[in-house]
Amino acid sequence: MAFYEVYSHPALIRYKTSVCTKASLFLVAVLCLTYISPLLVAYRSQGFWLKRSTYEEQPVVRFQYESLLVAATSTQGDYVAWSTFPHLNNMLGANLRIPAVSVREEDQNQDGKLDRLIFQLQLPLKPEEQVYSVQLLLTFSYQLFRMSTVAMQSLAYVQHSSSVPGAKLLISGDLRLQQRTPLPHRGLYDIYNVSVIDGSSPFASAYELDNIIRSYQERNLTTVLSCPTPVWTVGRAAGSPFQLNAEIRYPMEVISYRPGFWETIKFAWIQYVSVLLIFLWVFERIQKFVFQNQVLTTVPIPVGKPHMS
Amino acid sequence: MSASAAAAWFCSFLLFTAVTTDENTTSYNFNTTDYPELNFTYSFTDSSTTARPDSTTTTPSYSSTDDPLRPTVPGDPLPASGYLLTPVTDVSTLCPCDEHRDVCDINCCCDRQCSEQVALFTSCSVNTVSVNKQLCSRDVASYSLRIKIDGYSELQSSVKKETNSDIFCIHSQNRFDGLSHPSPALPTDSNFDSLFKQFTQFFFGSEVTGSQVSTTELRASSGYQYGDVMLTAGESGQRGMFWLPAAALTADCVDNSPAAFLKQQSSRCSRRVDLEQDCSTLPALSMDTYTDIQLLTVVPVLLVSVVLQSLDGTQTELQISGGETFSPALLNPDVCANVVLKVVYVMKYSPDGQIVDVMVSLVLGFVQNTALPLEQEFHITFIQDDGEDVSVYYSGNPGYVVGLPLVSGQKTADGIVRSVDPRGTLSLLHSSEDQDCLQGPHQRSPLLFGVDSVSGCTLRLEDAANCSVVSQVLLDVLRGPNYPQYVAAFGNSPLHNPLDWVSIKSSFSPGEGQSCNIPLSHHLEIEWTKYGSLVNPQAQVVSIKEVIQTNTSSLDLLTRGSSLLSIRSSVSFVPVSAAALPGFRAAPTIDAKLPFDFFFPFV
Repeated sequence: MAFYEVYSHPALIRYKTSVCTKASLFLVAVLCLTYISPLLVAYRSQGFWLKRSTYEEQPVVRFQYESLLVAATSTQGDYVAWSTFPHLNNMLGANLRIPAVSVREEDQNQDGKLDRLIFQLQLPLKPEEQVYSVQLLLTFSYQLFRMSTVAMQSLAYVQHSSSVPGAKLLISGDLRLQQRTPLPHRGLYDIYNVSVIDGSSPFASAYELDNIIRSYQERNLTTVLSCPTPVWTVGRAAGSPFQLNAEIRYPMEVISYRPGFWETIKFAWIQYVSVLLIFLWVFERIQKFVFQNQVLTTVPIPVGKPHMS
Repeated sequence: MSASAAAAWFCSFLLFTAVTTDENTTSYNFNTTDYPELNFTYSFTDSSTTARPDSTTTTPSYSSTDDPLRPTVPGDPLPASGYLLTPVTDVSTLCPCDEHRDVCDINCCCDRQCSEQVALFTSCSVNTVSVNKQLCSRDVASYSLRIKIDGYSELQSSVKKETNSDIFCIHSQNRFDGLSHPSPALPTDSNFDSLFKQFTQFFFGSEVTGSQVSTTELRASSGYQYGDVMLTAGESGQRGMFWLPAAALTADCVDNSPAAFLKQQSSRCSRRVDLEQDCSTLPALSMDTYTDIQLLTVVPVLLVSVVLQSLDGTQTELQISGGETFSPALLNPDVCANVVLKVVYVMKYSPDGQIVDVMVSLVLGFVQNTALPLEQEFHITFIQDDGEDVSVYYSGNPGYVVGLPLVSGQKTADGIVRSVDPRGTLSLLHSSEDQDCLQGPHQRSPLLFGVDSVSGCTLRLEDAANCSVVSQVLLDVLRGPNYPQYVAAFGNSPLHNPLDWVSIKSSFSPGEGQSCNIPLSHHLEIEWTKYGSLVNPQAQVVSIKEVIQTNTSSLDLLTRGSSLLSIRSSVSFVPVSAAALPGFRAAPTIDAKLPFDFFFPFV
């Protein structure tokens, strides 16, 4: 007749000692080592506190129908300009040249967020004029909603110049978000919800491109038009206008933010507990060895004598 | 009840996800009908949804009685609005490629006018027309061409019922909002403005056409505020603005840019002129344009000084006996005299915002054709009425502010003396176009606190023959006129306290040694430290040292064959305060060994 294990259960052995003994000291030391050293290990191995995290969101972008165009019409520095700001147009005087502009914003995937701006501009030119360089400013309203609510007004700046007079300029690029510091994880972030160009100002300094770009680049959150390959087409026929076609997409953005308290705690807790489990197992073994073998003198109380003290 | 609602919501959620993922599939999912005046209608097999208004475009013929889903309209619809036609849902009558009425569209197989031309088709531009793909059972009209034996095509069309095997397909559609755009409110007389506000955020012409002038006009009687446009009064009483030319989009002068009250402004701009035509006619070149102004509440512009600049840049002050004007005149086709080169306005204002006094100083000059486009300079400063005429500029209060000029002075018996002219401080040689060290006049730029800079000039070897003279001249050029001995430790160091002034230490003594040495570089090393509290540290100049390098070997060796020797003038600011370190503001006494962000979210 072969024996087989029909049943098993762990037996509990209590080891007793008084307060001021080596065993008590050992216990305290083991407890400290078990629970504090995982904290140190998790901290020293970097990344314990999550300080920066990212999420993905497609922004809600609207073209604000504000634009400013400067085109150099000779190599000597003659220029024509146009803007949607009446004060600036008044100041330009004879250099004002009103183009024909058509704008369309498209929502290609029907998700309620606009995906693309098509901006077409035809600049009429006098017979003696040629276009050598183009500077174009467009303003956008830019909003993010997922973590912190961001509302800002932003800018796309196009500058292209060529030594050969052009007939057309095609700009096809993305309006990318640039941030220096992470966003907060919640709340309203609307400190940049102010006009990039103060169109109500009658002063010429408000429309100086230096001032506009300098104060804009001071901001933590900016947008930049990333257009690696503008296409400058030469060979304009006499009498035909200079054409500027811009296709600006509003792509999905990866936005970095500062995680909130509970998100930080959650990731720290995961790291702490996973290291703690190893320490618990190791020190459990050590304690078992020490007490079973009576390395430190204690009074073991085996099972079956539960009522003896 | 709530459970079923939640289930319905869940289903609609699923359907929504299905809608968004299905968009890339190829077969034609009809969302246009053959009515050209309709742009978009999503239609459904369920008949109860058919008469719904979907857009606010035309079609005035409608009957308002039989539509239970019509949105409640508070007032009468505007004359141009109304309800849409009933969307067509029968797939066999739909043809999205039928773009020409009563004419066959090429390769449009569903076009009913193409019964004769179909033999010439090569392919079908629309192969299938189906209703919503998410329905479990739907009608699909398919069109295909078959090539007959004689080479011509033959149309094969069929309407089939297709079943959807997806377990989440829609068996019957009774939730209208789930798969269609929400019906917009119909514009009426009463809600038009609110709808307009809701749906149009930005458009051309939405910018505010500023009426700032009118508001300042109101304010002019009671006094200006900072940044207001200043007004002028014409001879016949009409009001205008006080213009100060400035550069706007390009470096060219923009004439009608107003000057703002209490805003110090200095601008340089270029003006392209044709001397022969414009010399005596262009108002921007004539001094009358800048002096013949009367600011509102009758303040005439007082001409204080006129400086005449010759062609080679030397300036002489003219005696103005009053009344005489120097209008531009063409001396010969190349040279125009008395052209306004620089205008400086000084405005005195009273505490209640009135302009009390306006003074203007002008620089007139000769301009020749080769110096075009012409650069003009315009300045405007404001001083308080009861204050002194000249205010002393501080460069910080108390510590230096980065970017402001170093304060320097000379020691006299009474203490330190400094110039009130902001340009009369320690300065650095500014490189000029002729690059020659010995040919003046030299431009100098003030030393700005915290800005390291370098500049220089060149010395031709043949000029350096008389060593002792050249050495002294070079030293004067590098140090500049009125080379000061003392630099203020703080931006606002008082003149009567010599302990607050740091003397410039120099290791150079020109008369030393037998051989004459030519200075090759002049370097100012300024050590500064942060002083005071951590929150608001003040910059303090600790020491300033002048380092002059002279040649130790013969100049011919240094130039290595070329006849030009470059002389450098430089300045560097060295922070000697201890660098900031991240850490607890005060070390905790419990355990200083813990890293600073150990308790990051808590502390």
